[in-house]
Amino acid sequence: MKPVASIVGSNGVAIVKHNYAESGYRTYEVYQRERVGESTERINGSDLVSAAFAQDPYPALTTLREHYPCYRDWVNNCYWLTRYDDVTSVLADDANFETRSKRWLYGLPNFGRDLNSEIPVLEAWAAGYTQSAVSTAEELCNKLQASGSNLATEFAAQYAGRMLAKAVGVPEPDVDRFLSLHWQLQRGAGWLPCVQQAGLLALDELVDYFKALMERSESSTSDQTLLAAVARLGGDAKDLVVTILEADSQTLHGGLANLWALLLTNPDEFAKVQAEPRLLKIAYLEMLRHTTPVVAAQRFAKHEVERFGRLLPAGSLVVCAAAAANRDPRIFDAPEDFIANRRDICHREARGQYRADGLATGVTAGLGAPTKHPAVPEDRPVSRYALVRDCAVDASAVVMEQLKDLRLQPGTQPVSKSLAVGEMYCCWSLPVVFES
Amino acid sequence: MQADFLETLDEDIANADPGGQIDFPHMPEGQAVDMGLAADGTPLFDPRILNSSEFSRNPYPYYRILRDHYPVYHDKLHNTYYVTRYDDITACYFDDEGFNTIPKGSSSGVLGNTQLELSGVEHRRRRNLYGQHLVGQSLQHRVPSIQRLAQAMVDDWEQQLDQPHFEQRGGKRLVELGKAFANEFPIRVVCEVLGFPKEAQSDFYYWYNSMMSGLGGSATHKAGLEARQHLEDYVEDIVQQRRQSPTYLYDEQGNPIAKDIITKLCETQIDGDVLSTEEITSNISLLVAAGGETTRGAIINMWYLLLQHPDQFAQLQADDSLWDQAFHETLRHSSPIGGQPRHNTYDIEMHGVAVPAGSLMQMVDFSANHDDRVFADPDSFNMFREDLYAGKLLRSGYNKGGKCSHMAFGAGPHLCPGAWISHQEAVEGSKILLQRLGDPVLCLEKMPTEQDGQTLKPNGIAPVRELWVEYTHS
Repeated sequence: MKPVASIVGSNGVAIVKHNYAESGYRTYEVYQRERVGESTERINGSDLVSAAFAQDPYPALTTLREHYPCYRDWVNNCYWLTRYDDVTSVLADDANFETRSKRWLYGLPNFGRDLNSEIPVLEAWAAGYTQSAVSTAEELCNKLQASGSNLATEFAAQYAGRMLAKAVGVPEPDVDRFLSLHWQLQRGAGWLPCVQQAGLLALDELVDYFKALMERSESSTSDQTLLAAVARLGGDAKDLVVTILEADSQTLHGGLANLWALLLTNPDEFAKVQAEPRLLKIAYLEMLRHTTPVVAAQRFAKHEVERFGRLLPAGSLVVCAAAAANRDPRIFDAPEDFIANRRDICHREARGQYRADGLATGVTAGLGAPTKHPAVPEDRPVSRYALVRDCAVDASAVVMEQLKDLRLQPGTQPVSKSLAVGEMYCCWSLPVVFES
Repeated sequence: MQADFLETLDEDIANADPGGQIDFPHMPEGQAVDMGLAADGTPLFDPRILNSSEFSRNPYPYYRILRDHYPVYHDKLHNTYYVTRYDDITACYFDDEGFNTIPKGSSSGVLGNTQLELSGVEHRRRRNLYGQHLVGQSLQHRVPSIQRLAQAMVDDWEQQLDQPHFEQRGGKRLVELGKAFANEFPIRVVCEVLGFPKEAQSDFYYWYNSMMSGLGGSATHKAGLEARQHLEDYVEDIVQQRRQSPTYLYDEQGNPIAKDIITKLCETQIDGDVLSTEEITSNISLLVAAGGETTRGAIINMWYLLLQHPDQFAQLQADDSLWDQAFHETLRHSSPIGGQPRHNTYDIEMHGVAVPAGSLMQMVDFSANHDDRVFADPDSFNMFREDLYAGKLLRSGYNKGGKCSHMAFGAGPHLCPGAWISHQEAVEGSKILLQRLGDPVLCLEKMPTEQDGQTLKPNGIAPVRELWVEYTHS
């Protein structure tokens, strides 16, 4: 093995090479020439980071899926995958592709430890998300009935946040501030510099807050909060904040908001669900397919790999566009339609290449580990995918039950978009009326 | 802990600023838009500025922010790291193994595989195939033909007086130097050196323009690929002919100097294999791409800067040995080439920034050339500056006798092989232009200005497009 090497420039800056033994250095030629038939003039890379894309990514993604299934985006230095089989083949291939942490996006790759794969942490998430799924929804519905009308923020966002706060073990008086900070922390892992600054400040404040909280908490072995689980694993406040940061935070919030936006703008489908509440689970899965909160998931090639008719050099960013894959007509009939009782979607938990019973599931990022996969130990706690799904279904059932005659406020239209390109795609305004 | 989550959320929804491209205001030359401050007072850097028209026209204050505060800047929007300090860039350029040139560049799709995307021994072998024709004695033999081409273009002006790039104004004459000289002169030189048939030179010019505009998968991508295909179809026949009967370049007395580059490429064998037509076409495409727009930019920027600095221009008129200094200072001050992409072979840390292996690292030559750690008062054009190395170009070094060379040609193994010939083109061509123009002055009212209609537009990323000059016709 070669020693760790460094180059020192004349200004004294050392460039340290970490994986010197695993040289990716090559001198041979690689075929890169594009032919006339491979031209990509229908789209420009800047279209894929435009304001129009943040508002509605589907037209551009359809162009990619139908014309350039593995699009080399020179503007944003990545490859876009948009067909279902291609996207799922990468998401399921952790031998060749890797995910990078949100800490890396913050420029803090070595900050704290992500404990999300530890069994006590998984158990804590499971306990937190099952114990109060219904009661939290009932509280929020009561508040809405008292004074409120926006189902997207006053219910979906609040519900996801409060479930998180309970799972973590944040005392009630601090929940609002915690949720503000958590929101800023999650957004800060994006590319906007002012938002990232707010995220860094939130990171510091959360570490200080949890440090003080951990010092004064006397956790017992029966305490099932994330805070206690991290403490039992010997983790500190940094580890706890990183564990929260790296966990999926979008699916419950965005999923609930999008589900209700779809139900309320498709009255016939809503009527089906009202008539048969067990369809809520399928409607939730159909929402993940039709309007997934995570438009695309990023994967990086671990080494040079030849796929999709291209040679992907080591380190290449492959953008797996779940939103495009989920509307792939090769897989789903009438993919643009929201069908609450859709029959060509798999109702089981995603695994492997995301198919079971010969049917495709909708693709969502941040699925968590599947619970019933042969490779997963039997005593492994329920996955976050299933937890989030069950919470969303339970909460939606409470909404249907408590908010009678629920419908959109006349004359209003739900607004869905990403707040910045690359962020969660979600309905942010869902004004409703109901019988008090 | 206080504050309301919903308030934070509502504020963010109201202030959603989602696009990857926005309009930044145009600032006075040398001043940057305020992109906000970090808690510790460090200026923030918004990656969208890199796509803006403000950045294209006035890039240097932004590079200064990067150099001073983010010497390795991670642009998460475009999945790119920018390296902006002179010493860091040269260290990377010399480390061919740690920072390689595997084919991720946008040019390779249109131009094909070239030595730009090779490293190590394969790169050296390809580069030397034609690099040998562009240096030393071989180059000196070609200087007279470069002078002849320049003289012929200038002599032809009298036949072009009815063209839009000429105007008569009293006893003075106006000429737009781009169309009248700089745009086409480098292409003619490339054709000459390659041994490209004269009857196809107008097609060649069209193919060159289409390929250049078709880089990067843009709306003109298809036209670029078609032009590349047409060039390849044309070259295929020439290659067949040259394989049978080689052709030569001649000196002014009509003596053969050497075989032209296409003939040499036809004869070349690597490990016993001859180069395919596609490989030869790729090399030709690269020569055209590298030798066309860059030299055009160098010539036109040099004249623009000199005419804006009449005191320096006057000294140059009195002493034409100063053209070399003017050329090098132009390439430092307003290089036609912004930088080169590299990919780090290993996981590295640089200035505390962790860069995973295989990342795209843009070495920003523009910024290196304006690094005040190396060049004093870097934003000023001063052909007499003492900290710039302006001697004979050295492939192996960028720092000689305490002076640093500009980075317009790069450094290390991938130093531009056309550096020497482009130098000769710019200098010899400019000498002939000066003889013709006599005592030229910049025609200010024909030059693009800022919104005030008075101030000239700064020299930005792209070389000057049009340069109107007034001269006395003798």
